[in-house]
Amino acid sequence: MPPFEKTQHPKPFKQRKSFATRKQEVAGIRSKFPTKVPVIIERYHREKYLPPLDKTKFLVPQELTMTQFVTIIRNRMTLMPSQAFYLLINNTGIASMSLTMAQVYKDHKDEDGFLYMTYASQEMFGYWEPYKTLLYEMVTDLPAAGNIVLW
Amino acid sequence: MKYYHHYDLYCFFTATLTYDTLRFGEFEDFPETPEPVWILGKQFNKDEILSDITSRMWFTYRKNFQPIGGTGPTSDTGWGCMLRCGQMILAEALIRRHLGRDWRWVRGQRQREEYISILNAFIDKKDSYYSIHQIAQMGVGEGKSIGQWYGPNTVAQVLKKLAVFDKWSRLAVHVAMDNTVVIEEIKRLCMPWLDFERGACAEPEGPLEINGCLEGACALAEEALWKPLVLLIPLRLGLSDINEAYIETLKQCFMMPQSLGVIGGKPNSAHYFIGFVGEELIYLDPHTTQPAVELCESGQIQDDSYHCQHPPCRMHICELDPSIAAVSSSRLKQSDFLLWGRSVDVLSTCRGGLPMFELVDSQPSHLINTEVLNLTPDFSDSDRLERFFDSEDEEFEILSL
Repeated sequence: MPPFEKTQHPKPFKQRKSFATRKQEVAGIRSKFPTKVPVIIERYHREKYLPPLDKTKFLVPQELTMTQFVTIIRNRMTLMPSQAFYLLINNTGIASMSLTMAQVYKDHKDEDGFLYMTYASQEMFGYWEPYKTLLYEMVTDLPAAGNIVLW
Repeated sequence: MKYYHHYDLYCFFTATLTYDTLRFGEFEDFPETPEPVWILGKQFNKDEILSDITSRMWFTYRKNFQPIGGTGPTSDTGWGCMLRCGQMILAEALIRRHLGRDWRWVRGQRQREEYISILNAFIDKKDSYYSIHQIAQMGVGEGKSIGQWYGPNTVAQVLKKLAVFDKWSRLAVHVAMDNTVVIEEIKRLCMPWLDFERGACAEPEGPLEINGCLEGACALAEEALWKPLVLLIPLRLGLSDINEAYIETLKQCFMMPQSLGVIGGKPNSAHYFIGFVGEELIYLDPHTTQPAVELCESGQIQDDSYHCQHPPCRMHICELDPSIAAVSSSRLKQSDFLLWGRSVDVLSTCRGGLPMFELVDSQPSHLINTEVLNLTPDFSDSDRLERFFDSEDEEFEILSL
């Protein structure tokens, strides 16, 4: 189950590459694709429910709205419409969904020229899971435990 | 009860141990303060607070109820706190719908029939509309096995599904995803009899103007025009901590007359936030295990334990976990909802805070066809990119319209 999954978190993009490298990378890609915005999307390091994305670096058409962009990422992760998904800009807040990528880029791009976004779902609330897990293990140890219903 | 609180505190809040322990233990009286106290859309004097708090439904952990699903748990201690908060906020919606904001619960007094029906909807047995049994079992469809923890969105989704079966209240429950409230979706939900496909829907104007008349024919007439709405907006106001830019906007949520409060919590402990004073949030706390209430032969319910009769808990607004759901209601009228919408717009622009969510008239048409948006890399672009980034370890994924 995802809640118990131990995922290896790679270092954040910013820590993998020096400022100079990142800046150079943006300059290069912007000259090739002047109408696309370079975006870094990373999973919140404490996220337990949403899957990791196979890519970190995206080039996004600047006229795309945040709504469209979120829809793309949601589809990519094959999320149900009822699943919580939030894309936080610079680890702080959620951009208005009707803004275009160009507008978000203008207001929030990093000094290195990338636009940084982190995705997360919602936290769950409770505090007894260790005990519950223990009980669950006890139950699964029973013979005839073929169709266990987690309680 | 004590034990669990301490366990909780030791595990997660060692830094605030003394402070919180004191507070849990003694239910510190409400402070003398010159600052206004706001609870669910109304401003209060200190001496009126307790009577208002006591009139809210207070759902806590319970033990010794019928096993969930026949063989499941008989107590929700440790896992049911968000489910209980969901119950509290929905009960508030039902109180608002059937009894009104100013209704008061008085201990030992003969209660109105509507109140008894509301209470019955939450009693810990399998066939109550919104019992812990129903919520836990409906959560399976949201990927939560019975006994697993819920987030604000989980309980919102479950309440939406359960409300369909409550033919008595006939609530229109909507969960606004992606921090966006689409007005057209709400109208469809609350006025399903209108033909939206044809675009021009003749919305009756006249009766919407009737104000303040909640009983009898007048209310029925209005109900025929607008199903009572409960709007839940699950949000994430930061990653590990709440972004302070949202604090003013959050406070505004408790000042609007349509407010049903906020469900959320401190890390691991869910609370039902009903108001604020200064920089503190006021909340009802489900973290007390009470025995399940047995129904008497006469069908009477001992209801004392469903009302919080001590001063409410408070915590600093910065302690709030960023995962919340803000909830509001528009009981009788479309104009009530539109008024709420306008207040949201105004408050997000004038108080200098960041808006927590956005109101839009309609969902952009391109979203209807999500196929178009399931973008794959543009091959012409990829070719150019490969040449450009031949030696790179990480490639860009190029999206094109």
